[in-house]
Parts: sequence; structure tokens; C-alpha cells
Amino acid sequence: MTLEACYNALGSDYKTALSRMGGSEKLLAKFARKFPNDPTMPALLEAFEGKDWQTAFRMAHTLKGLCANLGLDKLQQSSAELTEALRNTVADNADQLLEQVRADYDMTVGIINDLDE
Amino acid sequence: MEKILIIDDSEMNREILGEMLGGDYEILECDNGVDGIRMIKEQGTGISLVLLDMVMPEMDGIEVLDIMGKNGWLADIPVIMISSEDSPEVIHKAYELGVTEYMRRPFDQLIVRKRCQNTIMLYSKQKKLVGLFADQFYEREKNSRLMTDILAHIVEFRNNECAMHVINVQRYTEILLKELVNVTDKYDVSDSDISMISNCSALHDVGKIGIPDEILNKPGRFTDEEFKIMKSHSALGAQMLNDLPFHREEPLVKMAYGIARWHHERWDGRGYPDGLKGDDIPISAQVVSLADVYDALTSERCYKKAFSHETAIEMISKGECGCFNPILMQCMMNTQEELRLVKEGSGSNIKGEAEIKDFARELLKSDALYSSDRLLHLLEYEKMKNRFFEGITGGCSFEYNAASKLLTLSKKAAESIGVDETIIDPVHNEKLIEIFGKETLKTLASKLRAMLPERPITQFYLHQIVAVKPGESAPVQSFRISFAAEESAHYPADTKCNVYKLVCRTTWTLEEPQRYTGAIGKLVTMAEDYGFMKGTDINDVRGLL
Repeated sequence: MTLEACYNALGSDYKTALSRMGGSEKLLAKFARKFPNDPTMPALLEAFEGKDWQTAFRMAHTLKGLCANLGLDKLQQSSAELTEALRNTVADNADQLLEQVRADYDMTVGIINDLDE
Repeated sequence: MEKILIIDDSEMNREILGEMLGGDYEILECDNGVDGIRMIKEQGTGISLVLLDMVMPEMDGIEVLDIMGKNGWLADIPVIMISSEDSPEVIHKAYELGVTEYMRRPFDQLIVRKRCQNTIMLYSKQKKLVGLFADQFYEREKNSRLMTDILAHIVEFRNNECAMHVINVQRYTEILLKELVNVTDKYDVSDSDISMISNCSALHDVGKIGIPDEILNKPGRFTDEEFKIMKSHSALGAQMLNDLPFHREEPLVKMAYGIARWHHERWDGRGYPDGLKGDDIPISAQVVSLADVYDALTSERCYKKAFSHETAIEMISKGECGCFNPILMQCMMNTQEELRLVKEGSGSNIKGEAEIKDFARELLKSDALYSSDRLLHLLEYEKMKNRFFEGITGGCSFEYNAASKLLTLSKKAAESIGVDETIIDPVHNEKLIEIFGKETLKTLASKLRAMLPERPITQFYLHQIVAVKPGESAPVQSFRISFAAEESAHYPADTKCNVYKLVCRTTWTLEEPQRYTGAIGKLVTMAEDYGFMKGTDINDVRGLL
């Protein structure tokens, strides 16, 4: 799959994501490929499990920022909602939002892993 | 290459930023606020810009900003905060704490690069402006210092005291004040206060101008009446400053007033003129008083010999020479070594030689009034040019400033004549008199002064007559000055005569009426052994020039 096809499959705006990287496909591809290995998501899940809400908030926040920069719109959306649900107090629907993040993450990583070498 | 420090806990975020800025900067990275602060501390202004993430473990971006602000680092190191945070309170907080820019995620490469570039540029321009301002401020400060020094020197001159007194008291005052600030925060003394107090200390005895000569310079003991008059100098000096028609409200004048009036008060209240006690005496006057006593003891005066440093310290600490604030006594003990070094460093110079040198150095420096980088550069360039042309064309060039009576010779000129590069009051300079003769120097000075601004350029001929007298190994030399080259025709046949041409341009003020400010000129060898040319037509000689 080409990078553009990958972004289309993710429901993301490829052109905008590309222009943020100064129009460099190479750079965008480099970071997209790195994303599945980024430790933020595992750390978020671990913090959630240990009910370490502060860390969970921070990780959700970082994930949101990363996705924004890489143009991973769907995951950015759900992690933004989760961030707000964890700010100051833990909202009732936090678990539910985490599941959404997990689903979007798996989908995103799955598609990125299909990228051509 | 300029350094940018990225503080962000996500490695991937740091990497993205690094790539975006790539190539143009050296990127430093820290993954948390604590390390970030450590790095900033280490590198200081070696860091041109900090890119700071907001949400981090241990120490978040807001705390980092807070610490930077409290340490005063934000004045020199700009910070751009980058975060996907969109709650307005947090962003407001960041701006309140002094962040230069706030960048929301997602950011794009062009914007990141431009913002970083602009911020760095803005700060470096600001730094240059601050530097420029500091230069000017320093110059003004220095000039005002120069004026007080000159004024104080006049007092000393009349007073017949060693001319180093004023400068020594200034230095001791500065040393003692710096130690005082170290030892206690009881007195509210800032760095600029220290500079002002030591500056003003030069005027502590200004009232002595109003004391009759025969009392001021009496070698023996004072009668009660004389002592009373002598003691009036502190109140008198204060009054003189208070009666100034202008500038009475200037901090410098007020400070000088306090020092002049109260530098003979005593900690126990038994001093004069007001009998102030303890800290009712301003700390400025207390310090100058101690500095004054120490210098008086360690210097020779018309009524006493100089005591050694050790004896002086011992006398003061035993309370034999007044009564001082115990904290100041402690400061004196703590800084003994420094005081002694100043004392000894200056003690070897006779009759104010060091002062005159200082004075000349100051004046020389004030030639270069514009020490901003660019102007300094131009000045250096001009000097280089002058040296170069002088090297090619030969001759000795000089510059004379009438107001300061300062003669400045080019390095080469000074070397070949065998005098210092700067000479104060050249007409009375022993060395110059020995070489050129008193009459020659006087004639030259008065002729230059009599020139007109419309026709500022003139030339003289210096005839160096070298006669070998029988029985003497060294030739007797003398100079004569004239407007004509052929003068040497009158000299006896057994003399040798070297002729030099001195071309001068007098300088004048720009504004009317134009006043004479000095001269610049050059001395060139016209013909060695002019005696050979005795028969030749003078026009032939002129042709050689």
C-alpha cells in the first residue's frame, strides 16, 4: 500500500498531513512507520490497568498530540476525548472511551503495517 | 551553529521537531523538565531557544517556565511552548510566566522553522540593543567619574596631600562595601550604589577648598581655634554641594552631600559636625570615613610619617583612631589582604604618577567615546590605516588635545624619540625639554595657538644642531625652530645640522565662535646633515620634499 492509500484507508487527510512535513513524503512515511513502535499507547494501557490516572492522562495527551502531527485524525479524535475524560477527575465513561481509542489504534497500526517497504 | 533545546517527554515528538528544524541548528534534547533545567543551567545563553512541551512527568512545562523566570533566564533565552493543550487557562498561564510564543499541535514545518528563526533573531537583536545601551551607560558613568576625579584632584592639589589619597579612598570604599554586602543584608546596598558611593567618596574633602592655606598645610599642632576651622570642612563641603544652583536633586549630589557632611561622625556619637550616632550616620559616610582613616594612617602627611598596614589596622581595631560600626570593622579585617595590596600597589608610585597615568588612560579611552561594536570597529580600522600609511611614508605623527594638554604620539614616533606615547602637558615635560629645549616647545605651542581656523595648516623647521666639543665624547645637541629651512646657514662650520620639517594642522570646534582644540601633525626628516648643503639654493632643497 502506498502512503497516500494508507492515509485514505485511515480516513485521514493525506495532503494536509504531507504539507505539515514540509511536503516531504519521505519524512511523513518515516514517522508513520515509527508510530506502531511508539511506547505511548502501551504506557497508556498500563497506566489504566494500574489506575494511575495522572500518567494515563499524560499518555492520552501525548498520543493526541502525536496523532495530530502525523494526521492520524480518527485516533486523534478518540484520544482527545479520552484526555478530557481524564483531566482532573476520572469521568464515568473513561473505560468506554479507552475502548474506542484501543479500537482506533489497532485499526491505525494495522493499516500502517500494510505500508509498502 | 545556534543551539535549540527541545524538552519533551515523547521521543517521537522530539524527533519530529528535530527533523523539521534539521540542519540549521544543533538540537539538544531532554525528556523531562528536571533534565531540561539542568541543561539550561549548564549551557546558559549557549542555548538560543527552548522548545518546551507542556505536559510532562516529574516537572511539567509550566514549572520549567516558572523556574526559568525566577532565575532571570527568560530575559536571555526565549521559550516557545508547544502543546496540543487547548484549555485557555493553561495557555494564559504560559504567557503570564513569560513564554515568547505558544504553538498548538499540529504544527507544520514551515511555521515551526519561521517561528524559531524569528524568535532567535528578535532575541539576538534585543541582546545587541542591550549591549549598545550598556556601552553608552558605561561611558556616561565613566565620564561623570572622570569629572569627580578631576574635581577631587583639585582639592588634593591644594591640600598638598599625596595625590593618591582620593583614588585610594575610592578603592578602599569599594572593597569595604562589597564585603559589607557579603557579610550582611542589613544595609540596602546595590551594585550601582557601590559604584555611586565610591565615586562620590572622591568628594569627601571638597570643603577643604574653603579652609585657609596656612591652616590646611600647617605642619605642627593646631591651636583650638585652628582645629575648629579645620573641622568645619565637612559641613562646608556639604553646604557647597547643597548650594549648587543645579543638580541638587541628583542622587549623586545627594550621596556626595551625605559623605561630605558626615565622614567625620563617629559610631559612638562623638564625631562632628552633627554628633550622629550608630546607623543614624548613613552607611556611605561610615564606609568612606573608615577608608579615609586607613589611608590617612598609611600615608605620609605634612604632620606625620606613614604607618605600616599592620600598624594601621591594629590602631583602628584598638579604637585609637575613631570609633566605627563593628560590622565595618569586621569587613576591614576580612579584606585586610586586599586593602594591603591596593596600598602597596600604589605606594610605589611617587607623587601621583599612577594617578596621572590613570587620568591619561581615561582620557585616551574617552577619545573612543563610541564603544558600540561598529564604531569601535571603524576606529580600529582608522588606526590601522594610520599605522599603515605611517609605515610607508615614514615620519612621526602626533596628536595634541589642548583641553586636556594631552600629547599622543604614534608608537613609532614615541620609540624613535625615546618618550612615552602619551605625555601630559608636553611644554613642561622634562624629557621633551631635554630633547627639544624649552624655548622650542614654548614657541611651537604659542604659534599653534595663534593660528586661525580659516588657515589651520602650517609648517615649521626644526634644526638640530650637533656640535662636537673638544674633550667631550657626546655631541652637544640643541634644537631651534623657525619658519624657514635655510636658517642653519648661520651655524659655525664645525657643527652638523639635521633639519626636520614639522607639518601641523590645528583643530577647532565646529560651533561658532571656533575655539582652538589642539593639533595633529607629523615630523619628517628633511635632510640629514644639512651642513653639506650650505651653499645650495633653498628652492632645490624644497624640491626634495
